[in-house]
Amino acid sequence: MVSKKVTMRVFGMTCDDCVRTVSDGLKDGGATEIFVSLKDGTASAVVDDSRMKPEDLSKIPVFGEKSHYKAQVRKVE
Amino acid sequence: MILKSEYDLVILGRGAAAFSAAIKASEITAGQASIAMIGFGPLGGTCVNVGCVPSKYLIEAAKVVHNQSHPRYPGIDSIKPAINSGKIMGSLRDAVKEERVNKYENVLKSYGNIDIYEGRARFLDKSTVIVDNNGDSEKLNGYNFIIATGSSTKIPHIEGLEDTGYLTSNTVWDLNNLPGKLAILGGGFIGLEIGQSLERLGTEVTVIKEHDTVAPGIEEEIGAKLMEILKSEGMEFRTGKKVMRVFSRNGKKIIETQSRRGKEEMEVDEILVSSGRIPNVAGLDLEKAGVEYSSKGIFTDETMKTTNPLIYAAGDVVDQRYKLETLAAGEGSIAASNIYAGTEKKVNLQLVPWAVFTEPQFASVGYTESGYNQTGRKSITRTVPLDLVPKARILREEHGIFKMVVDSETEKIVGIHVLSPNAAEFIIEGVYAIRYGLTFRDLIENSHIFPTVAEGIKLTAQSFTRDLSRMSCCME
Repeated sequence: MVSKKVTMRVFGMTCDDCVRTVSDGLKDGGATEIFVSLKDGTASAVVDDSRMKPEDLSKIPVFGEKSHYKAQVRKVE
Repeated sequence: MILKSEYDLVILGRGAAAFSAAIKASEITAGQASIAMIGFGPLGGTCVNVGCVPSKYLIEAAKVVHNQSHPRYPGIDSIKPAINSGKIMGSLRDAVKEERVNKYENVLKSYGNIDIYEGRARFLDKSTVIVDNNGDSEKLNGYNFIIATGSSTKIPHIEGLEDTGYLTSNTVWDLNNLPGKLAILGGGFIGLEIGQSLERLGTEVTVIKEHDTVAPGIEEEIGAKLMEILKSEGMEFRTGKKVMRVFSRNGKKIIETQSRRGKEEMEVDEILVSSGRIPNVAGLDLEKAGVEYSSKGIFTDETMKTTNPLIYAAGDVVDQRYKLETLAAGEGSIAASNIYAGTEKKVNLQLVPWAVFTEPQFASVGYTESGYNQTGRKSITRTVPLDLVPKARILREEHGIFKMVVDSETEKIVGIHVLSPNAAEFIIEGVYAIRYGLTFRDLIENSHIFPTVAEGIKLTAQSFTRDLSRMSCCME
């Protein structure tokens, strides 16, 4: 297991409820050490790259086709 | 307004592809993607300012004149309407402005996340562009870029052309007095549309081409028919002639051509250059961004991604077969979706309909007969003359052709090509047929309104299995 820190730009968040929804979505998607910023429209999280490609974190259901939220993976380290 | 220097998305260009991309990106991101749109000249690009909108206005105005001087029905006298070309062209420019304001300037006001920059952009590196504007420079950083800088009129290298002066599809709209005699060099589709309109408004129009066909790339019999129709209206075609030199003499413009039969001179009042369009890649410093291109445009895959995965391209600047506003807007939207919605949407040029708004109109979707055969598959085709379509006979507009190309094994439709009144209005039937893999038999099973010109598509489908001359109206 290799932990990767993923930094994302997150679109569509307008309130604290949105932050909670996105955080929960990231957790459900298998991420840990989640930090979501409403002000900056960003999120960071850690993923186990033996279970998931870090780049695929923007494709989890909370950012899916029917979701109001969209994300771009900007940095993997 | 305070502008930023860091953007989620930087769009080079302000035309159809750029607007479509910016709006789609805004919709997907709930208006939270910060977007810079960089360009110069009036907002909206080619189509609204110097393309589809003014040309269709001129075509419709000319049609009114033509219908009055050439009534289609017995018992209606021909009249030659007085033409005030200054008023026509002035109203054309007003119409262009109205469309630009309604569909671009006002639309932009409702997107607070889009900043407009005036100037020419060039890449400094993979995530930075410099915007040059009248000696001032500004640096913008972006995460993603969409290059949508469009295309320009291709000006052939002809001795004396620059000094003598010429019109293009960018400048012809500035005219107030229409030329008495006009030569169109090249005679591309834009030239044919403008040429037929001006001819109907009283200009003597001559098309000078090196090719013997009026419109290379379209079905040969349809191109030949279109040329025949335009000739019958009075347009002259001098094909197989290369323009060697252009110069001025006694206030006129002289065009010297060379053909197998020797040199010829032609004296005109004005020259319209219509020899195609070239992508606007010059000066963008695409090498610095890792974006590969050629003189035909920027290389993209079907998702509109360039050779730099963070940079997309859309519209006329892309190396592709068609230069169309609808395609540009579609590609802009695809690029934005693929950047922000995580999709892998692709453009399919076989499903892109296109049209030439001459009268009759030419509209087309999918493969030509020879194009399909070149793919290694075999086609069967049917061609139906327009005078077999009852509505065309009623309209007294019987000059035209329907052609359908189907796969010889599956009988699926792979191309439909129409020269008829209103062809651009109903070619969409061909798009659906190809997109959803319909056979010509599927088209036959669906009723078409009688009498319509569009019924010609069904009749063409029926001609695969029956003799149309032995059918009554509306038979299935």
